[in-house]
Amino acid sequence: MTKQLQSVVYMFLISLFFASLVSAVKYLSEERIASNQAIKLQRIVLKVLDIPVGKNISEDRISSLFTERVKDIQVGEKTLYVGYEEDGRTIKGYAFPVGGPGFWGPIHGMVGVNPEATKLLGIAFTKHSETPGLGGRITEDWFLTQFKGLPIHPIEGDQKIFYLKPAGTTTAANELDAITGATNTSSAVEAFLNKDLDHFLIKLWRSVEDRK
Amino acid sequence: MPNLPQKKEIFLTGLWKDNPVLRQILGICSTLAVTNLMVNTLVMDAGLIFTVCMSSLTVSLLRHYTPMRIRMMVQTLIIASYVIIVDILIKAYLPEISEALGPYVALIITNCIIMGRCEAFARNNPPVASLIDGLGMSVGYSLVLIVIAFVREPLGFGTLMGIRVMSEGFVQWTVMIMAPGAFFTLGILVWIMKYFLPNTKTGEEKT
Amino acid sequence: MNAINPLTLFFAAIFTNNILLTNFLGLCPFLSISKEKKSAMGMGAAVVFVMASTTVLNNLIYYKLLLPLGLEYFRYIVFIVVIAAFVQLVEMMVERFFPPLYYVLGIFLPLITVNCAIFGASLFMVIRGYDLMQSLAYGAGSGIGWWMAIMAVSTIREKLQKSANLPKGLEGPAITLIITGLLSLAFLAFSGMIRVQ
Repeated sequence: MTKQLQSVVYMFLISLFFASLVSAVKYLSEERIASNQAIKLQRIVLKVLDIPVGKNISEDRISSLFTERVKDIQVGEKTLYVGYEEDGRTIKGYAFPVGGPGFWGPIHGMVGVNPEATKLLGIAFTKHSETPGLGGRITEDWFLTQFKGLPIHPIEGDQKIFYLKPAGTTTAANELDAITGATNTSSAVEAFLNKDLDHFLIKLWRSVEDRK
Repeated sequence: MPNLPQKKEIFLTGLWKDNPVLRQILGICSTLAVTNLMVNTLVMDAGLIFTVCMSSLTVSLLRHYTPMRIRMMVQTLIIASYVIIVDILIKAYLPEISEALGPYVALIITNCIIMGRCEAFARNNPPVASLIDGLGMSVGYSLVLIVIAFVREPLGFGTLMGIRVMSEGFVQWTVMIMAPGAFFTLGILVWIMKYFLPNTKTGEEKT
Repeated sequence: MNAINPLTLFFAAIFTNNILLTNFLGLCPFLSISKEKKSAMGMGAAVVFVMASTTVLNNLIYYKLLLPLGLEYFRYIVFIVVIAAFVQLVEMMVERFFPPLYYVLGIFLPLITVNCAIFGASLFMVIRGYDLMQSLAYGAGSGIGWWMAIMAVSTIREKLQKSANLPKGLEGPAITLIITGLLSLAFLAFSGMIRVQ
């Protein structure tokens, strides 16, 4: 049955052609994609360490700023980032990745703490699948800047490090505004952030302190 | 072979008379998903125009060689390949938008418009005509999406392309950002379209 | 990182993250076949089966085959080929063992292949990093959610056909979209019901 054989051969040839085309495009863009990821990480780490990065700054400038002011260290399995002041020697703070399940998918972020690990310097989210305009608002400035200066401490009993409450009902210093209409995303963030901060303070902080 | 309609007519049919979204009711999934932000809409439009045109062109070029029985698999392969290319390019050059669009770029593969044009036109017509048909259909699609985004983003976020367009005191219509707002806006547009072109849809333009 | 209980995921996929009413997937066949309850029933059952099976299959292929070989950027092609092949298989089985069903479904069976909901389910499965059990729960749940949505809309449409006096332009797709919008609005109410962690 040459007709069937013809079809198979044709299919095979076409697949080969297109697979090669796709692979070629992939190969040519790989470097670009990898550098995008790297720049993104650097930008985020600088941001949560409160190291100012100008708005229309070039990628090269971000890279050089990062190399000047940040070092990465391995603590167990995790990579932490140590940020330095402009003198290059005084420690400005530490940054580490955080993350957990969101409402629609995993949320990844980065947190910066001061050198004594007593308060937050900043927070940013790198990846999430939340609804744009609702849960997706966790990336907005008003939400993120709330965390600046938040005092942190290991969790004792029932007391969380911070709470996300409906906007307008916050009373204590450790109560921040949740996102209106996105209760699930807000609870998710509250849950994993508390957990990750506590984990850092209890498990990782000692190793970091020892290195100082 | 019967006389081919003029190239201009082919293009215009895709834009208005046989508009893929408002008349043929195809490609709805992506229409509703990305139109809550104008910038996402524009990127999606560009991606779709590229994919439809390239796919129609390729299918048309291969139409005399492709065995009848496997033509749908071949079309799927061609469409999927171009979509992967678009996806890679967006990831490389527009990384933030790539994240915002999420899986919806990949979903261009199952966008009924592309497969529809390949089946209805490209496999029976010469390359240039197929290209124009693809262009007309995809531009028709893009215009509809832009109109919808024009409604959804200002009402839902108060902005257009990220620039604030509604006054400060404007209370956002959050429902516009979410699924129901999309359904309503599109439904009303289809209604308006039917009002202006009340005859039942022209069916497939056949050649 | 995704520790969602599969059972919770199953219910979330039906109500709070309904693949049609929240993610807009699977609308094209929806708008044409939802006119008749009978075809909606048959199509829905087929979709549940295909969706659950292909999400699981694609999960296996992605994690056991594509990732280790570094070929994950081919996943779009692979997923859709798997779906097409599976639908072909289902079509052959139905034709052989349930001929009356085969005649009822007619052209709709092969159309399942381009149902964006099925492809979308596999895509979301990868993005959210579901494991095997979660993939099964998500695939089955999404299928059932789609089925429920299509049944609801087709029932409403049938009723409207008989009683309401619609303006000429609204008939057909326009009113279907608006009905779906209202349904989607209603389903939003479910989002407080499920705690996904």
